[in-house]
Amino acid sequence: MTFYKIKDVILSFFPLLLLYFLSFSSFETLKEFSNLIIFSFNLQMILIYFYVLKYPDMLGYGHIFIAGIINDTAIGIPLGTSSLSYLILSFITTYIRNATIRSKMTAEWVIFLPIVFLSNLIYFIVINSFSNLSFYYVELLRNSFFTFLFFPFFYYFFSFLSKLNKKEK
Amino acid sequence: MSDSRDDFIIAIRYALLKKSTKQKFSLFFLIILSIATITLDRSSLSVMSTSRAVLNDLIYQVASITSVPGKSINYLAKVKKNHFSIYEQNKFLQDEVIKLKNNQFNNIFLRTEIDNLKKILTLTDTRSLEGDISIPARIILDQKSPYMQSLLTNKGTKNGILKGMSVFSKNILIGTVVEVNYMTSRILLLTDLNSKIPVIIQNSDVNAILSGGGSKNDFFLEYLPDEFNLEPDQVIFTSGKGGFLAAGIPVAQSYLNKKNEVAIKALADPDQASIIFINNGQLNK
Repeated sequence: MTFYKIKDVILSFFPLLLLYFLSFSSFETLKEFSNLIIFSFNLQMILIYFYVLKYPDMLGYGHIFIAGIINDTAIGIPLGTSSLSYLILSFITTYIRNATIRSKMTAEWVIFLPIVFLSNLIYFIVINSFSNLSFYYVELLRNSFFTFLFFPFFYYFFSFLSKLNKKEK
Repeated sequence: MSDSRDDFIIAIRYALLKKSTKQKFSLFFLIILSIATITLDRSSLSVMSTSRAVLNDLIYQVASITSVPGKSINYLAKVKKNHFSIYEQNKFLQDEVIKLKNNQFNNIFLRTEIDNLKKILTLTDTRSLEGDISIPARIILDQKSPYMQSLLTNKGTKNGILKGMSVFSKNILIGTVVEVNYMTSRILLLTDLNSKIPVIIQNSDVNAILSGGGSKNDFFLEYLPDEFNLEPDQVIFTSGKGGFLAAGIPVAQSYLNKKNEVAIKALADPDQASIIFINNGQLNK
C-alpha cells in the first residue's frame, strides 16, 4: 500500500521533480562523456513544452519561473534569463493549446521548432544585452536543433509516464 | 477579417492572463517579474548583490548534491577507462619519469644560472615580494557546458578568496576566480571563450593574448604579429603584463592536430581537477 502511495506521489510530481533536478544540475547534455557534448539539448524546454501542452495542471508557471532562476544561478548568467525564455515558451504553448482542436504528435513536433528557436533567441538577446558573456552562437543553434530532434523520444516517454499516472489514479 | 483578428487577440489575452485551476500566477505577471529580475540583477544595488550571493551559496550547495549521479557516471567511466589502459599508461609513465629526471637536472642548472645573473644585475625576485597565500579548495560542481566553462568550489570570502585570484591544479594554471560568495566561489576556466590572459611564447619575445575556445584542445592566440609562425611543441607562459598573474607560469602548448595544423592545447586538464589551489597569482608551492 505504502509503495503504491509513494509511486503515485512520484508520478504526480515527476515533471516538477525533474524540472528542479535539471535546473540544479544545469543539465545540457551528458557532459560526463566529452564525445557526446555535441548532442547538447535542452531537456527543460521539452519538459515544459510537453506538460504545458498536455497536462498544464501538473506544471505550474510559478515553478517554471523558479526553476529558471535556479538554472541561471547554477550556470552563472543574469538572473531571470532562463525564466523569461521558459515563460515565453509556456506562453506560446498555452496559445497553441487553446487554438488547437485535435492534437497530433507530428504537428506538435513541427510547431516545437519555431518555439524553441524563439525562446532561445530571447535567451541570446538577454545574455547579449545584459551581460558581457560571449559564447559560440553555433552552440545555441545546435542546441536548438537537437532539442527539436530529440522531442519525439521524450514525447512518448512522458506520455507513457502520464498514462501510468492516470492508471494509478 | 476583423473577427479573426479579434479571435487572435482574445486567444493571446487568454493565454497571458487566464489562470487555470492549479495555476497561482498568470503568465503575464511572471513575464513582467522575469524582466524586473533581469533589470534589477543588472543594477549595482548592494541589496541585489547581497541577495545574489546568498542565493548563490544556497543553490550551489544543493547543486553539489544533485550533481552526485552525474559524478558517479563520470567516476565509473574513468575507472573503466583506466582499467583497460593501465599497461600503456605504465609504459608511458616510465618514459616520462626518465625524461623528467633529465629535465630536472637542466632546470636546476638553469635556475642557478638565473639566480646568479639576477645577483649580478641586482634584480629582485618579484615572486618572493608578493604574499604567497595558497588556499586549497574542493570542486563541488563542474559546470562545463557548451556555453560556459566554469567550476564551483567550496571556498568563499570566509576563507579569504577574492575575485581575480588565480587557480592552479597540479601546479598548472586552470583559471581565475570570477564570482565570490560567502561559502562558495566560481572559477572561470581558461578554456572558456571569455577567458583572456596575457602570454609569451617559448623561445621568442612575442606577446599575445591567449583565449579559450571551448575545449582543452582548442585555444587561440590573439594580437600575434603578422610575420610570426607558431611551431609545434612550443610552451606558452604567462607574460605577467597587467600585473594580475606572475610571469612564467606555463599555461598551454602548441601541437599538431589531426588536420596537420598547429593548434594550442591546455597543459592542465580541468576535467581531472578535484582539489585545486587558489592564490594571488603566484605559482602554487
